[in-house]
Amino acid sequence: MLEDLVVGMVGSGGDGVVSAGESLLAAVASQGFHALMTKSFGSQIRGGESSCRVRISGRKVLNPGGVLDVAVALNWEDFRRFGAELPLGPDTVVIHEAKAGPPPADLAPPGHGPRQVLAVPLGELAKSAAGTDRAKTTVVLGILSGWFGIPPEALDRALQKKFAQKGEGLLEANRKALAAGIAHARAHPLDAPRVLAPPPSSTPKLLCDGNEMCASAAIFAGCEFFGGYPITPSTEVMQILSRELPKYGGVVLQAEDEISGVGAAVGASFAGKKSMTATSGPGMSLKTEVLGLASIAELPLVLVDVQRGGPSTGLPTKPEQADLFQAAFSAHGDVLRPVLAPTGVEDTFRLTVEAFNLAERYQTPVVLLSDQEIAQRKETLEPIDVSRFEVLHRLVPTPEQLAEGYQRFAETPSGVSPLSHPGMPGGNYLAAGIEHDVRGAPTASGAVHASMNAKRFRKLGALQERADLFEREGPRDAPLGLVSWGSSAGVAREAFALARARGLPVQLLVPHLLYPVAEPVYREFFASARRGLVLELSHQGQLYRVLRMFVDVPPGVTSFARSGAQPFHADEVVERLQQQAEGLVR
Amino acid sequence: MNAFLAPNDYKSPLKPIWCPGCGDYGVVQALYRALSAIGRPPHEIAFISGIGCSSRIPGYTTAYGFNTVHGRALPIAQGVKLANPDLLVVVAGGDGDGFSIGGGHVPHAIRRNVDLTYLVMDNQVYGLTKGQLSPTSPRGLKTVTSPMGSLEQPINPLLTVLAYGAGFVAQATPADMPGMTALIEEALRYPGFSFVNIQSPCVTFGEEEQQLRAHKTRMKSLASLGHDPTNQLAALDLARAYGTELYTGVFYRNPDPPPTYEALVRQRQAELQRGEPRSRARVLDGLSSRGG
Repeated sequence: MLEDLVVGMVGSGGDGVVSAGESLLAAVASQGFHALMTKSFGSQIRGGESSCRVRISGRKVLNPGGVLDVAVALNWEDFRRFGAELPLGPDTVVIHEAKAGPPPADLAPPGHGPRQVLAVPLGELAKSAAGTDRAKTTVVLGILSGWFGIPPEALDRALQKKFAQKGEGLLEANRKALAAGIAHARAHPLDAPRVLAPPPSSTPKLLCDGNEMCASAAIFAGCEFFGGYPITPSTEVMQILSRELPKYGGVVLQAEDEISGVGAAVGASFAGKKSMTATSGPGMSLKTEVLGLASIAELPLVLVDVQRGGPSTGLPTKPEQADLFQAAFSAHGDVLRPVLAPTGVEDTFRLTVEAFNLAERYQTPVVLLSDQEIAQRKETLEPIDVSRFEVLHRLVPTPEQLAEGYQRFAETPSGVSPLSHPGMPGGNYLAAGIEHDVRGAPTASGAVHASMNAKRFRKLGALQERADLFEREGPRDAPLGLVSWGSSAGVAREAFALARARGLPVQLLVPHLLYPVAEPVYREFFASARRGLVLELSHQGQLYRVLRMFVDVPPGVTSFARSGAQPFHADEVVERLQQQAEGLVR
Repeated sequence: MNAFLAPNDYKSPLKPIWCPGCGDYGVVQALYRALSAIGRPPHEIAFISGIGCSSRIPGYTTAYGFNTVHGRALPIAQGVKLANPDLLVVVAGGDGDGFSIGGGHVPHAIRRNVDLTYLVMDNQVYGLTKGQLSPTSPRGLKTVTSPMGSLEQPINPLLTVLAYGAGFVAQATPADMPGMTALIEEALRYPGFSFVNIQSPCVTFGEEEQQLRAHKTRMKSLASLGHDPTNQLAALDLARAYGTELYTGVFYRNPDPPPTYEALVRQRQAELQRGEPRSRARVLDGLSSRGG
């Protein structure tokens, strides 16, 4: 029985590999499997290379998986473009379109060649069964069904959904293609047949991607205004909100540029509404000045940065975790701006709500640092009980405070001052990017500037105590530590479990709050974890470096980092941990 | 109905940073009078500006003010108006703020037709940074950044804004206070994007022919020329004289104002919300149907 199946499919744009992956995902989710699908493309608008990776398991799927169990190549040229994103190993079964010819000799490193390579006339099978070779990816689904025991009726339902709007003819053609694939698999069994172990529960799972979850959570958290500009890979947040937010009385403005998108959101926040913008690295660069305005004017704002490879245009369609410096530090002047990071689709809900709560509670911009993998991957979920989540609102002045000489930036012990908005009688004040006194009057006084800076930092001091924004696993006295954030944390969780199974004395720390650095949490962690790794997908290892600014990171804790678009695999992380563990006894 | 509000009810206790004799003093006085004539209480007014001498103006009123960053007053003001369409939203800034660093936002504010009144205090020079070339500086102007004279053709704010399709376009000068007050009031009442280019002299760095004394002799009211402000083509023709003639009055007023952006947004929200109100707590319900 197979506990875990990882399938990678590559074709040219228009071949429908992503669409087939979605059908597969929907089918297994309906059977109660856990599953996760990532997509990866070239940056061409149409055509170009296109791929998906689907991981299916009876257990919770923590990441897209490493080496493929099954690789499907519709042509070799496109397949090779994905390189380390779709690695082959000695257990991999490769199916390729027969017409594409045998795989290139350098497909895998010597000795790591796939277990079995099967040339399948996918196009011909599709044409003879369905009358069109466009159904060839459906033939692939049939083959997978036949080999691994994925119930054909579940795939059939997924096809019905997919083709419901496209006419009976197309559905019938694809059903025939599916049957042809199943028949082909029966006629050509694998050298080492394996069947996917059924899930413990057959209750269907929900499916969602990170951008949709982020948009949904924003609605839940009370977002009333979104201003933004299209940018890959965050655009779906704006698209979904454009469709959904007006149904709740909210407004979405597609602005003329990134600056006006965040500007309008800050304006709406000034006017009293919960506001949001979403972007990726290049847009974040452009929005920086207005973020500083929101900080000094103490206006709540949520900014979602769906990271992609950078700098500049970089790798627009691939994940990287290299915007942390920008999220935390891109500002002139002394600015403290909270940065939160989800690690997957499910916790994108919680952290988006948290981003709104922090923004409203502390009257500050908050950055939610997602990434291309999380944003555009689809994963199975158990239903989320939203009643567990508290929604906070900004502190507004009481009628008494408004009646007796309201001070917008009044000094308070917490640093948070009641915030009025236009339309509120007696709350009139001047919000400004220029330094101001407690009433909002512009000033050039160094003394006032110092006390206002102190107030703006003081109000975020409470974040130091938010241990609940960290995930901590394993024995608290374990001498080996693994720290990871964002999409890499899913790999870290699996590596942690594997390392524990090997008997390594390891504990795991996943920060959801990246900045400000909650020093007490790390101090406690590193007090026992004297050796270990900080795992992240960036050339510099940005979290590792940020931690070293604020915390005494033990010299035995090192950065395990590499540039984007080359996701980590759990096995290699375990190997590194093993090496670190050997250092413990030396 | 609100109790009568006098011009002084819109005046804040803050003392302006402007140089003595600055045209902006006249602008803020005219604005107090226009706001008083309209009678909206200050807390229902949001006054947004960018950066520059003139952008300090919100602080001199009792309205809710937002003195933002350079060039971004229009997008921020649109966010304010869309968030709360019941507010009276006024935007102000200088020629540099509006037509240089923020120039990219002007066409979009206009084409969306958000109901804002945009007052540009155009003095053809950068005053706050002490006398550099501005986008409306005349060709040949010698400044500290164009010591041998500007090589650039100035932008024509009137022609630009008319060409972008603004529904209300006027020009005023503090040399004619009653005229400027009336124009600001009319702009504030116009249901849609309205623009008033105010030739507001910089006494410190401005040219002699840009001062109020010169305005008094140069200015010509469009009404006295027999201009019909509903004639867009005639308005475009007259606007070409920016920089040579000082016309005051309404260049163009759309006789049949199209619906504002925020009105259309409200309409669409109402259509989508028909039936029982949506519960935000049920936002994830739709996910259940997506499995298989």
